[in-house]
Amino acid sequence: MDDIKGKIAQLEDYIMKKCLWQFNSRAWDRKDQNENILKISTLLLCEEHFIPETPADRCYWVEAVSLVDAFKNRYPWISALNKTEKKELMEALKERIDFLTITGSLNKELTDPLY
Amino acid sequence: MPYHEFKCSECIPERKMHAVVKGPGEDITMALPLGYLNTIPGSISERGCAYCGAKHVIGTPMKDVIHLSHGPVGCTYDTWQTKRYISDNDNFQLKYTYASDVKEKNIVFGAEKMLKQNIIEAFKAFPKIKRMTLYQTCATALIGDDMNAIADEVMEEMPDVDIFVCNSPGFRGPSQSGGHHTINIAWIKDKVGQVEPKITSDYVINYVGEYNIQGDSEVMADYFRRMGIQVLSTFTGNGSYDDLRAMHRAQLNVLECARSAEYICNELRVRYGTPRLDIDGFGFEPLSNSLRKVAMFFGIEDRAQALIDEETARWKPELDWYKERLKGKKVCLWPGGSKLWHWANVIHEEMGVEVISVYTKFGHQGDMEKGISRCEEGALAIDDPNELESVEAMLSLKPDIIFTGKRPGEVAKKIRVPYLNAHAYHNGPWKGYEGWVRFARDIYNAIYSPIHQLSLLDISKDEIPTGNGFVTSGMIANAGLAEEVISAGDLRQYSGKYDCVSDLKNKIYPDFKKVTEE
Repeated sequence: MDDIKGKIAQLEDYIMKKCLWQFNSRAWDRKDQNENILKISTLLLCEEHFIPETPADRCYWVEAVSLVDAFKNRYPWISALNKTEKKELMEALKERIDFLTITGSLNKELTDPLY
Repeated sequence: MPYHEFKCSECIPERKMHAVVKGPGEDITMALPLGYLNTIPGSISERGCAYCGAKHVIGTPMKDVIHLSHGPVGCTYDTWQTKRYISDNDNFQLKYTYASDVKEKNIVFGAEKMLKQNIIEAFKAFPKIKRMTLYQTCATALIGDDMNAIADEVMEEMPDVDIFVCNSPGFRGPSQSGGHHTINIAWIKDKVGQVEPKITSDYVINYVGEYNIQGDSEVMADYFRRMGIQVLSTFTGNGSYDDLRAMHRAQLNVLECARSAEYICNELRVRYGTPRLDIDGFGFEPLSNSLRKVAMFFGIEDRAQALIDEETARWKPELDWYKERLKGKKVCLWPGGSKLWHWANVIHEEMGVEVISVYTKFGHQGDMEKGISRCEEGALAIDDPNELESVEAMLSLKPDIIFTGKRPGEVAKKIRVPYLNAHAYHNGPWKGYEGWVRFARDIYNAIYSPIHQLSLLDISKDEIPTGNGFVTSGMIANAGLAEEVISAGDLRQYSGKYDCVSDLKNKIYPDFKKVTEE
C-alpha cells in the first residue's frame, strides 16, 4: 500500500509541477481534461492503441503522449509493471488528481454559477 | 489552513485569509489563499483597474490600431515610457496614444459629440491607419456616453475604417483581470469571423495570451515558422487587428497566459470547435515540451526536435554558467498573474534559485493553485498584497532578489533588495532559449552588481571601506565558487547580441509546401 502511495506521489508531483491541463478554470472542464488525458495515458502506457478522431481528441492525445514519455523517462519502475498494475496505478492517480483539482479543491471559482 | 497573518495587517483581519505558507507535505487542498475578490478597505492594493487590464494589458499591444481612451487624458498615460510590448511596425501603438480629453463641462453636457470629432481627427491625422479601438473609462461610463452609436456613425461616414468598442471602465471588476475578461468576450462577440484569411500552411495556429514584451512573441513566432506553422494571429502582442478578426480559421489555439486570454480560447472552442493547448514558453524544458506538443498535434515532431536540439546546443552551456552562480539564491516571485506559475518551478530547476515567496496582484485562485503546486515547501503565497505587507515579507524573508512590477520594485530598492521588472523585463526578451539565458544574465547582474553591494552600506553608521579597490560582478560572484566551476571550459557567459529580435524581421524561412486544399 505504501509502495503504491509513494509511486502515485511521484507521478502526482510531475503532473502538478510540470503540466497545466489539469487546471482549466471550471470544474466540468477539469473533469473532462483529467478523464480524457489520463484515460489515453493509461492506454498508451499499456501499449494499447488510441486513434484521435477529433481536434479535441488530438489535444488530449498530445498531452497524454507527453505525459507517458515523461513518466517512462523519469520513473523507470513504471515500465516494469504489468498491465493490471499499470491500470490500477493510473486509476488511483486519476482519483488523486481529481481530488486535488476538483473534489478537494479550495478554489471557489470552480463552482461559481456566475463565472 | 496554514494562513499567515502579517503584523502590519492585524488591524485588517480579513487579510489573513489572503496569505498562506506551504508547509511540509501540504498541497493545494490544504494551502490556498482567497483570490480575485474586491480589495479590502484599508489595504492599499498594488492592483490596476479593469480599464487598465482591458487597454494597457490586452488591447494596446495590437499594432496597427489607433487606441483611443474616451476619458480624461491621464487615463492614457501608460505608453512607451512604461509599456514594452513592441511591434514590427515601428511601434506605432506605443509611440502614439490618444484620449478624448474629457473635462468637467463634458461630464455636465455629455462628451459624445467631442468623441466623434476626436475619432475623425485621429483617422485624418494618421491616414494609413484604418482601425481603432475605443476604450470606455469611469467618467464616460457614468454619464452614459454611447460609444457604440458613435462608432457606428463614424463607420457609416468613413466606410474604409473599422472600430472596436471596449466597454470596460475602471470599476468593472476587482482588478485589471476583470478587464481581461471583458475585452476577450467583446472581441470574439464583435470582431471574430469578419475576415477570411489567406491560409499559407497546412498547420495553422492562433498564438493566444502573448503580448510581445520586448519581442517575446516574435521569438516564439520564429520557432513556429521554422517548423512550417502559420501563426494566423497573435492575441495580442504584435498582433494585427484584421488577423485577429480571422481567429476562427485556425486549427489550434496555443495558449500562453491563461489568466488573460483563456476566455477567448474557451469561446473559440465552443463556437468554432478549435481546441486549446496550454503551453509554457519560459525555460528550456517547458518550452521544449511545448514545442513538441504543438508539433505533435500536426504530426511534425521531427521539425520540433531539430529546432530543440539546435537551440539547446547553442544556449544550454550559457544557462548553466549562470546556474552555477545563482544556485541557492533566494527569490521572491511577485508578478501580476501568470508568471508566478510559468516560472515557479522552472527557475528553481534550471537556474538553481530558491523561490521563497510567490504573490499575485490580480490572479485568481486558479493561478495560486498552479503557483503553489509548482513552488517548493516553505514558500509564502500572498494574494493582492499591500505595500506594508510586501515590506514586512522582504524584511523577514531576506530575499536576494525580487521579480515584480515597477511600483513594488521601487519599494524593494529602498530597502536594498534588487528587483527585476517581471512585467516589462530589463533586458528581454526572456522567452525562448536565448531569452531564458538573458533572464538569467539579468538576475546575475542584479544580484552581483557592485553598486548593489555598495548600497548595502549605511553611510550614517557603517564604516566605509575606502581602501578597497575596483570590483566587478565577476569578482563578487567568483568569491563563492569552486575553482573547477570558475575554470569550467564547457560553460560560458551570454554571448548573444544586444538586440536579438530585429534580425528576425528579415529572416528567410524554409519553404514547406502546402499540400492540402483550402
